[in-house]
Amino acid sequence: MSAPLLRHETLIARTDDFRIAAWAALAITIHILESAVPMLLPGLKPGLANVIVVAVLVCYGWRSAAWVALLRVLVGSLLIGTFLTPTFLLSLSGALASVAALYLAWRLGGWFPRWAPGALGYSVLASMAHMAGQFFVAYALLIPHPALLKLLPLLMTLALAFGIMSGLIAAAMVRSIHGRERTDQIT
Amino acid sequence: MRRGDVLALLLAVSILPPLYAVLWHDGRGGDYARILVGGQQRELVSLHEDRTLEVSGELGVSTLEVKEGQIRFLASPCPGQQCVHNGWIHFGGDVLTCLPNKISIAILGGEQRFDSVNF
Repeated sequence: MSAPLLRHETLIARTDDFRIAAWAALAITIHILESAVPMLLPGLKPGLANVIVVAVLVCYGWRSAAWVALLRVLVGSLLIGTFLTPTFLLSLSGALASVAALYLAWRLGGWFPRWAPGALGYSVLASMAHMAGQFFVAYALLIPHPALLKLLPLLMTLALAFGIMSGLIAAAMVRSIHGRERTDQIT
Repeated sequence: MRRGDVLALLLAVSILPPLYAVLWHDGRGGDYARILVGGQQRELVSLHEDRTLEVSGELGVSTLEVKEGQIRFLASPCPGQQCVHNGWIHFGGDVLTCLPNKISIAILGGEQRFDSVNF
């Protein structure tokens, strides 16, 4: 502990915290905008907020990405008004599954740097894990009917497509962030 | 694109075909066909050996064909020929009937697609 603490101050916001808050705010904004866009199938969304999570993961590491992902679900649901509803439950289970997948990929990437995925790979893994986790909870808790399983292959295919799409966006974003960091220091 | 990206994509893509294969399959066919004439069991035939058999009913002799786990009416003396036009059946619980000739075929075993069937 190098910085001297004031007597009653126990919580000090660090640069990391500000950065996480800023990225989470961006993810939450995208999350809310996206919730206003009608989709063909219920429960299906392009998951563009995932772009932010993946970009944060690549630029600042897993811990920041997990914070952003979970803050997005929590604050997003509070703002939309779905907190503690089935929608929130599905959203949370998807986010937890994708964060778990990202952690695994991140760790493996740390051990085998030559095989570490970039933004595209992370995004695809996160998207598939998100869909799988969400589907598992939907099947186990909400609609335990075998006919629901018939939807899984289709949903996973779409998750792959959306994962590639947001992965390409995230990759472009990461390039742009790295380019800007060279000229001026952003948090 | 990094090597890890290719790996992640391959992993994601390789999950899909087994998912389709397991979840979109048709269900397993039955193992036996029970042949009833006038409500009484006449014969129990295995669907795993190909053969044709003749069953005599109310009107005359119906010819049944067993082939590759399926069974059908090949020929029937009935006027409507609906039983012949029904074609092949192979799922557990599937039923073919020829009302004029009072012959019915029910598949046993396999996955039952329906709990019960009413006509």
